[in-house]
Amino acid sequence: MDVATARDPKANTSSPQRAGPRTAAPQSGFAPWKNPDLPPIVRFEGITKRFDEFVAVNNVTLNIYEKEFFALLGPSGCGKSTLLRMLAGFERPTDGRIFVAGEDITDLPPYERPVNMMFQSYALFPHMTVERNIGFGLRQEGMPKDKIAERVDEAMGMLELRQFAKRKPNQLSGGQQQRVALARCIAKKPRIVLLDEPLGALDKKLRQQAQFELMRIQETTGTTFIIVTHDQEEAMTVASRIAVMEKGLLVQVATPGDIYENPKTRYIAGFIGDVNVFEGKVSKVSDGCIEIDANGGYKFKTKSTETVTVGQQVGLALRPEKIRIGLEKPTSDVNVIPGKVEDIGYLGSISHYHVRTAPGERVTALRANAAHTVEQAITWEDSVWLDWPVDAGVVLTG
Amino acid sequence: MKGRFSWFNAMSILLGFAFLYIPILLLVIFSFNESKLVTVWAGWSTKWYGSLLQNQALKDAAWVTLRVAVVSASAATVLGTLAAITLVRMGRFPGRTLFSGMIFAPLVMPDVITGLSLLLIFVALGIDRGFWTIILAHITFSMCYAAVVVQARLQDFDKSVEEAAMDLGATPVGTFFQVTLPIIAPSVVSAWLLAFTLSLDDLVIASFTTGPGATTLPMKIYSQVRLGVTPEINAISTILIGIVTTGVLAAAYFTKRQTEKAERERRAAFGAAG
Repeated sequence: MDVATARDPKANTSSPQRAGPRTAAPQSGFAPWKNPDLPPIVRFEGITKRFDEFVAVNNVTLNIYEKEFFALLGPSGCGKSTLLRMLAGFERPTDGRIFVAGEDITDLPPYERPVNMMFQSYALFPHMTVERNIGFGLRQEGMPKDKIAERVDEAMGMLELRQFAKRKPNQLSGGQQQRVALARCIAKKPRIVLLDEPLGALDKKLRQQAQFELMRIQETTGTTFIIVTHDQEEAMTVASRIAVMEKGLLVQVATPGDIYENPKTRYIAGFIGDVNVFEGKVSKVSDGCIEIDANGGYKFKTKSTETVTVGQQVGLALRPEKIRIGLEKPTSDVNVIPGKVEDIGYLGSISHYHVRTAPGERVTALRANAAHTVEQAITWEDSVWLDWPVDAGVVLTG
Repeated sequence: MKGRFSWFNAMSILLGFAFLYIPILLLVIFSFNESKLVTVWAGWSTKWYGSLLQNQALKDAAWVTLRVAVVSASAATVLGTLAAITLVRMGRFPGRTLFSGMIFAPLVMPDVITGLSLLLIFVALGIDRGFWTIILAHITFSMCYAAVVVQARLQDFDKSVEEAAMDLGATPVGTFFQVTLPIIAPSVVSAWLLAFTLSLDDLVIASFTTGPGATTLPMKIYSQVRLGVTPEINAISTILIGIVTTGVLAAAYFTKRQTEKAERERRAAFGAAG
């Protein structure tokens, strides 16, 4: 599925705030990962990291391109932070090489790498003022004093920190500390900024603000940002591409829209918004379509390029907005399943219908309340038919 | 319990403090005694402090003690800080448990054993005993105290602060001097003060490891007392008590003011920012 379809506004009606499309309009034509001639700015090549017996990162190969806002997403312990720390130079990969702008940096110490990291704990220097914290990296380069002052002022201006210049970190609120940490990180104008759960310590409202601030800084500086987060909404909001990790493995790398529309596993499918998953066995694979014998004797057919074998246990994922709900039995005999309305959530423009199907599965369908007075109102305990087109579902093998 | 007065508590405190401080108080009072006899009170006088200044042997001993204490405390603080950093920072390495055990073992080692073993090694190596052997011995036993003090501070030190410094381009050495050391400085000062005090009043280990010409003040006092306590000894002891008390109070005041200042700054900032 291409990006344009992923941006289909229909796809986001379920929760416009959470799964909203990239707000940044300039990004719409931005897809350097599709250009095979463009060298990546960061390349992980077969990276494995073992801690004794535990494999934290397992054979990860990944390209990240200039000016991307790249998110590493996954539950805690999935290896995303370890991957980031290997790029920063705090951990040595057990196996594999890391390249930045074509140069092998695997053996360089942290202080010789063209990356700067923002830490989850902010890691501000408690004995230095805001000003001196931000200027720390520039002083290490031996930059002349007036030049340092200029750059520090620029960074403070960008993050509205000028009024706190003379304060120590313990005299700042959490949100202010977070901004100082970011300012310190970008003051050196690195090619790549690494963010390790940068907003984890902020409350929800502040976090949303900070997300937009991150995006603004990333766009104005034109720097490549790599963020590590366990918060799916955060990744969807800020990132141009997301890499989902699970148990040290890279499960899927795709745009937020693609992750939403074409999840590879049940785990990813459940990330954002609601998803209905029908379990079944593959009965036939032919000309780009997979047919599935689902529980209860129903037959589903869906377009898919997934490689499966007949008899394999798979899941069919369907977003609620892709399922039609009606009182009349559809003419088609595939992708049709009867059920009874158990619950209705009326949300003004749309309604959620929770339907118990004959095999006993609970399915959520969405319907836009288009007409002023719905002629055929569906109500509780109604027997209904659910159906969907062959291109609506996604076959999940993982 | 809070705020309630009881005779039992009052008596406990009184007895406890009496037990601790009456001997010291007596010593201080008798240092101002007019009489040459230590046990007979003959009115107030400061003449023993005056005669102290004339006593070249005591002055020499004090000078030796001071030099030993300053040099050994400084060296012990450096070594102890390095050991503490290794223990806390280096994570797991083969023999870490043994290493940390060996650093802290001298804490519970009887002074006599430490002194004797050091004497044996100096003799075996054919090192002439004197000023420098005392210093070596004092470094050996006070280093582990310094390591304990610094280690306590390092343990609640956010490691990512050091990583941030390196990430921003500071070399490991630069990181240590620009970030780590300033942050742990108060504990390094405490470690130095502790090592200094330990060296100042050590008698046993110094006696084992000394040689001709190097007599520390505790050794001098002890040898003089064996010939009979003179009021001069009381006077010099009073001065020692004064130095130690001043040092301890100063350190406590300094630490307290630091925390209060930080607290005030915080409150001022949030009062203003809302």
